[in-house]
Amino acid sequence: MARVLERIGYAIDFPEAQTCCGQPGFNSGYWREARALAERFVGVFRDADFVVCPSGSCTTMVRVFYKELLEGAAREAATNLSSRVFEFSEFLVKVAKITDVGANFPHRVTYHDACHALRELHLRDEPRELLRHVKNLELVEMPYSEECCGFGGTFSTKFPMISAAMGETKAANAGAANVEYVTSTDPSCLMHIDGILRSRKSAVRTIHLASILAQSELSDGNTSPAVTKNSP
Amino acid sequence: MSTPAKEFLHSAAVKSADLAHRSTIRTGIDHYEAAVMRTGARFLDWEAAREQCRAVKWEAVNHLDKYLLEFESRVQDRGGHVFWAETAADARRYISELAARKDVRTVVKSKSMVSEEIDLRQDLEKQGVKVFETDLGELIVQLRDEPPYHLMTPAMHLTRTEIADLFREKYGGVESNDPQHLVDIARRALRDAFFSAEMGITGANFLVADSGMVALTTNEGNGRLGSSLPRIHVVVTGIEKVIPRMQDLAVLWPTLARSAVGQSIACYNTLIGGPRNAKEADGPEEFHVVLLDNGRSELLADAEQREVLHCIRCGACLNVCPVFRKIGGHSYGTVYGGPIGSVLMPHLGGLNKFQHLSFASSLCGACTEACPVKIDLHHHLLQNRRNAVESAERPFGERLAFKLWRWMMMAPKRFAVLGGAARAGLRAVHALGLEGTRLDPLRPWTKTHAPPAIPAESFRSQWRKIATK
Amino acid sequence: MQQNDNPGRGRILARIQKGLRNPAPKHAPVDKSGAIFAPIVDPLDRFQKECGQNGTECLIVPNAAAVAEAFERLLEPIPPGEIFVQDAPELRPMAALRRNDRSIRWSTEGRPAEQSQATVTLAEALVAQTGSIFVSAACGGRAASVVAPVHILVASIQQLVPDLGAAFERLRERGAVENNSMLCLITGPSRTADIEKIIVMGAHGPRRVVVILSLEPLS
Repeated sequence: MARVLERIGYAIDFPEAQTCCGQPGFNSGYWREARALAERFVGVFRDADFVVCPSGSCTTMVRVFYKELLEGAAREAATNLSSRVFEFSEFLVKVAKITDVGANFPHRVTYHDACHALRELHLRDEPRELLRHVKNLELVEMPYSEECCGFGGTFSTKFPMISAAMGETKAANAGAANVEYVTSTDPSCLMHIDGILRSRKSAVRTIHLASILAQSELSDGNTSPAVTKNSP
Repeated sequence: MSTPAKEFLHSAAVKSADLAHRSTIRTGIDHYEAAVMRTGARFLDWEAAREQCRAVKWEAVNHLDKYLLEFESRVQDRGGHVFWAETAADARRYISELAARKDVRTVVKSKSMVSEEIDLRQDLEKQGVKVFETDLGELIVQLRDEPPYHLMTPAMHLTRTEIADLFREKYGGVESNDPQHLVDIARRALRDAFFSAEMGITGANFLVADSGMVALTTNEGNGRLGSSLPRIHVVVTGIEKVIPRMQDLAVLWPTLARSAVGQSIACYNTLIGGPRNAKEADGPEEFHVVLLDNGRSELLADAEQREVLHCIRCGACLNVCPVFRKIGGHSYGTVYGGPIGSVLMPHLGGLNKFQHLSFASSLCGACTEACPVKIDLHHHLLQNRRNAVESAERPFGERLAFKLWRWMMMAPKRFAVLGGAARAGLRAVHALGLEGTRLDPLRPWTKTHAPPAIPAESFRSQWRKIATK
Repeated sequence: MQQNDNPGRGRILARIQKGLRNPAPKHAPVDKSGAIFAPIVDPLDRFQKECGQNGTECLIVPNAAAVAEAFERLLEPIPPGEIFVQDAPELRPMAALRRNDRSIRWSTEGRPAEQSQATVTLAEALVAQTGSIFVSAACGGRAASVVAPVHILVASIQQLVPDLGAAFERLRERGAVENNSMLCLITGPSRTADIEKIIVMGAHGPRRVVVILSLEPLS
């Protein structure tokens, strides 16, 4: 993600103070613990022009759920930050207004609609637009692409059989689409789908959307000369 | 000792692995989704329809006393009786005593989730009353002696062949497994019951306050027959079903029909106001509405979750739920299953007993998206989880783990140490070939997944290298 | 029901009133002025199209005199037996169809027999939006619209309204809500989706619903 952003002309900082947005605790009902992390997160990123995140679920946590979790001044600060927090594909298409990042990925690929990105951030077209502009990439839709893969955070360890069954259905649908890769905006979905695919000895692999977009025509992975732009 | 949580885990695991069951459900859901898609074309603005329905229910539930009193008064003006039942036992007692007083020997019953909630049929049968379930799906599960599988289509877990075999055994005369033929058999089998029953029991979809009428939606006509032929008609309903005006049905009826079945509108949308009046050709001589509380007034007091009472029991949330599609309706083990059940049961049945249902979700949000009255279902699941933690209903080990997690996440150095330790630990597990064994800390994961590729170094350390270049 | 027969009533109401003292979050007001359904330009055309989709047979006739003729044709394929007819002046011409093998029972003589072959009633309103018919208990009673395998309705174009909202208004204006203990919006023959969620026609109610629609008033 960092490579792509630099390639299109953004200056990036990775504040090392960051740890976790607090979602695992929040989703498990430990709102007091999560609250502490949320307040910390807002502090760490307070002065950023933009916060870009390669995960729909973390982005959702900040933009949608911090409002429910925090109160008073913390809530105000979070709401203020929210307008500057974006999922990666969303940032490219809606903020940077770029759909072609100069990527090249000569493979048959299908897109899995990660739940938070789809239903909380309302991203359906943006990732697909980006993929359509990748040279030599053949984008194919798989059946039930919008159905949950079954990861759900601690759900996968509390109810492993249900989670695995949901993952199997996702893996089977990817297989039915006859693709080489499944991609998505969310690393957690991909990790789950990947584990299921490999346990079924499937030839289908997973790859994060950012990794596809980072693949350029220069074979050694170096970024092409950056178009210098003042960081907006 | 078995608890609902343990039974749920067991049943969910069994059903998740049952590929035949998954396939039957998938077929049914595909039909449903196609029908919903087609009906979408009838709405210029589906979101506006949902919003209007939400507004109607919001007004009704947030002024529940006012509208219930208006409804009661108008029902009484029309010669009907209204009984307010605090508990399931109160409701059962009222109806049993009524049946005894009026020499009722046969009851025809159409679909009512509330009647399942209070175990009404079993109670009547104990006093020697014969009760016929007349909704086809309910009839089928009654014959199989099992609970309904889904709140809209109680027998969707069965194929036509299984239903044909059942009818062959119970009724005879089954020549094929064609659904049309099977429906004919059910019709013939229930005809006598409709014409001889002394009492008809139905549920209610809406209680219309401004006209004192009960709105009942069916497709089969069983609710029509049950509220026309017997001399006593009893309606069992939750208190939350009231709506302010008959005019509200202009948006509620089509929206409900699309969400429930993917229809433009149901076949019979009936409004019943009291017993027959003197000028009418036929109809029941007595009309009773039993308003059931059974925990609803407590949920009403919870301002954060009050909107859960807006539910119009369409079943859409079940149909779109990826967990429901895997575990099926019986696994929930409760009257109300699926997402609405997972939100509602901790309130109606106890947080400690049913919290597991609120945890058994990946929070995908499909339910919230599908709900025709815009209940924020998956957010309520999160709130139930928080309530479970805050009332100390969670296992000690878990509480400790999250305290530790918080401690580690509050400082980047601890976070990095955790990451490093995790990677090192996983490498060790892999090197020693312990994956999938009892010594594998990721055992719940590696039982069903191939082990994850372990990154050589953290992003943090990669970043530092690039940044210093 | 006396207050003392139902002590739960007071307690439930008290709990509701107490609970409602905590205000629920009100969602941001949404503009509801936009239409949810497309306006209906040609109600008759829409009614016929919807009937075609929901399985209602719609026969258009020029006037009341032609209704009797339409009856004849409709009754031909129906097996011999009782026909139940709402006792109304507009339906009196039905009496002429009495034959040896076919008896007529008027609604004033009692409710339809279980083996009725068909019922004939008037209607309160026709709804173009969904191809539906509003009946009431005044239309021959409650059972008339559901007992027999064939239900024939006689209506006129003046009864056709564009949508559900207009239908409810019409019912109110004509006193149909006040004066009836039952109203029913009927949309096609009875059906069920309880077997594999596939819609099958003809469950407990009629298998055929026929509307004879006169382009002139019936009386």
